[in-house]
Amino acid sequence: MIKEEWRLQKSLIGGLGSGLFPLLIFGLTAFCALISPLLLKSIDVSTVLLLLHIAILFYGLFVGGLGSLGESIMTRRLGQVNMLLQLPQTLPVSFRRVMAIFYLKDASFYLIYTFIPLLLGGVLAIPYVGVTMRGIAMLGVTLFITFMMGMGLSFALSALPGKSRPGSLLTVLLLIVLCLLAYPFKIIKPYQLLLPLGYWFDRQLYWLASGILTAILFAMIGTLLVKERYELQARKYEESFLSFDRKFSIFGGLRPLVAKEWLELERSGSIGSAIGMYAIHLIAVYALSWLFQNGFGMPLDFNVVFFGGFVGFMGVLTYSFLTGMEQNEYLNVIPVTVEMVVKAKLCVYFLLTSGVTVGYVFLIGLLKGEITLLPLSLAIAACTSIYVVAVTAYLTGLWTNTMFFGAGTMIRFAAFVVPPITAIEVGSLIIPYNFGFALEIIATAAMFAIILSIILLRRLDKKWSRRTFSSTSFNS
Amino acid sequence: MPAIEIKNLYKSFGTLQVLRGVSLKVAEGEFFGLFGANGAGKTTLLRVITGQLSADSGEAYIAGIPCTNPMSIKRVVGIVPEAESPPTFLTTRETLELVCRIRRLEGMPDRIDKWLKFFDLNDKADVLCRDLSKGQKQKLILASAFIHEPKLLLLDEAFINLDPIYQRQLREYMKGVVEEGRTIFMCTHILEIAEKVCTRVAVIDGGRIVAQGTIPELRMKEGEGLEEIFIRAVEGSNHEP
Repeated sequence: MIKEEWRLQKSLIGGLGSGLFPLLIFGLTAFCALISPLLLKSIDVSTVLLLLHIAILFYGLFVGGLGSLGESIMTRRLGQVNMLLQLPQTLPVSFRRVMAIFYLKDASFYLIYTFIPLLLGGVLAIPYVGVTMRGIAMLGVTLFITFMMGMGLSFALSALPGKSRPGSLLTVLLLIVLCLLAYPFKIIKPYQLLLPLGYWFDRQLYWLASGILTAILFAMIGTLLVKERYELQARKYEESFLSFDRKFSIFGGLRPLVAKEWLELERSGSIGSAIGMYAIHLIAVYALSWLFQNGFGMPLDFNVVFFGGFVGFMGVLTYSFLTGMEQNEYLNVIPVTVEMVVKAKLCVYFLLTSGVTVGYVFLIGLLKGEITLLPLSLAIAACTSIYVVAVTAYLTGLWTNTMFFGAGTMIRFAAFVVPPITAIEVGSLIIPYNFGFALEIIATAAMFAIILSIILLRRLDKKWSRRTFSSTSFNS
Repeated sequence: MPAIEIKNLYKSFGTLQVLRGVSLKVAEGEFFGLFGANGAGKTTLLRVITGQLSADSGEAYIAGIPCTNPMSIKRVVGIVPEAESPPTFLTTRETLELVCRIRRLEGMPDRIDKWLKFFDLNDKADVLCRDLSKGQKQKLILASAFIHEPKLLLLDEAFINLDPIYQRQLREYMKGVVEEGRTIFMCTHILEIAEKVCTRVAVIDGGRIVAQGTIPELRMKEGEGLEEIFIRAVEGSNHEP
């Protein structure tokens, strides 16, 4: 199963990307550990520990969610030939048991793939930052238990709607209430929710034991709630394609393809995942900027235009998600080109993300009291969204998951994207000091990005005209 | 103008030479069968002449359109690929609607009803494609290729996964297509079916055409069947490794 997971990772993000990920974790952890004395000057240890555990909890939630999402992706790409998850159909083993093993496999895989590189990165910094080996090891333990709690919670929450939708809703509401009680109301302590974090306050092992028990409890709930699926159900739907085809008339000749893409996303339950993933990444950017400003005490004023400029980067993941979900080989026999499907996916991408982008920029504008900068920020958000996704679509077509991580593609992507986005971000930081000059820089970079977007979108046909929908062969 | 004209076509995948100088002509109104063992090059040939793969060298024309122009070819022909894979989350009816909308066909409801009825898919019209059986998926793929009633049909193992009743029904439909003056080019290794319907055949082995003609032309003795012709042609070819 570990081998299967590795192959799955490779098929989704490519061999190089998969191989580099643990190295990236190792490098980042070592870097963070080495600069931690600087960080600890402006932010206390307990806050750092809290942020670390929250981040890892979200990582666990993400991985647990990816388990169910991954299943839907695999099902879309491979039909019912869903590898080990389909074992109950052919062998005398329950689906519940397979899911439990699958869960343990995920935990083992991420322990090797993420936590061991993370610990090694921390160990590297021991001589320089004055922490002990035992301290690093214990941090690894509390973080891993937190990760397991997140994964278990996500697993249980994804299984709950299958049994009871109201129950599922109530559980989510309860969790939100608990989080609100911890922050901003401060009625309960964060470590009373993030149990392994409690260890760092009184060094009592029962925090670890209770964390482990909670993770096991969540996993057991998830396993017990899983529906047994020995038989395939023939799902029926009322005809909706033509109504979507009419709704999307704005997209002209692409509308049948846009309707198909949208309908497939809707029926596979992926619309929420795609929007949620995009929103989480945008929130992560905001959290990171908060850390830089408040954690590292950097005297930078990240205004709403800065965040507008960053929006485009997050679009790469969402576009990649849209292209990775489906096999298109049947399109080889009808009069459709790769370029047409790429453009249809771009339309769906903007349908999915535009509302979130506008809401995100608007909310930051309100939070920061920068209403006057909102029009500029919204224009920049639209411009960078179009530009970054146009570059991604041009360079990777329908194979973003695998092609994006190729060294050549990454270098070209950076060459296209970094200069104008950097200019916009630098310009945004100059706004408080010299608005006119800042506006000149931002407008020039944005104009450059828009012109290049138009050129790249027009050249999609030429770039992909010799490529078929086959996932394995290049037709050149 | 021939319906299909292939001139000295070569195709390789890395060091594996799959097509070695294939030349063929199929006249309009013919039911042409291409036979070969697994891996002989049938599917690759079909994919190259429809522009799904590019040739290393040589030329191919479908209805006068060069194979380097796949969009134009796909507009005028109906193609049934070897592996059935209709869109996962569309229903049977919606898949046919998608094909009709992309092909901009008029009279869509009538066309769809006709083919749903022909393949007895009416009770599966609202079922997601992912939940169809292999045979039902094959019927849907066939319906998708037939729905615009093209002048030329290119079929790769079209009878696979179909039960004997639908194999016969499909055979009869194809005979009717040829009687109307339309053309069928079919790759298969099911010789019994081909023997009943093909007006001309070719045998491909190791990427080369090793025999071609009408079945009577290829017979060496009275009563010799296509199976014997096929085996003799393959055994008689001395292709390079």
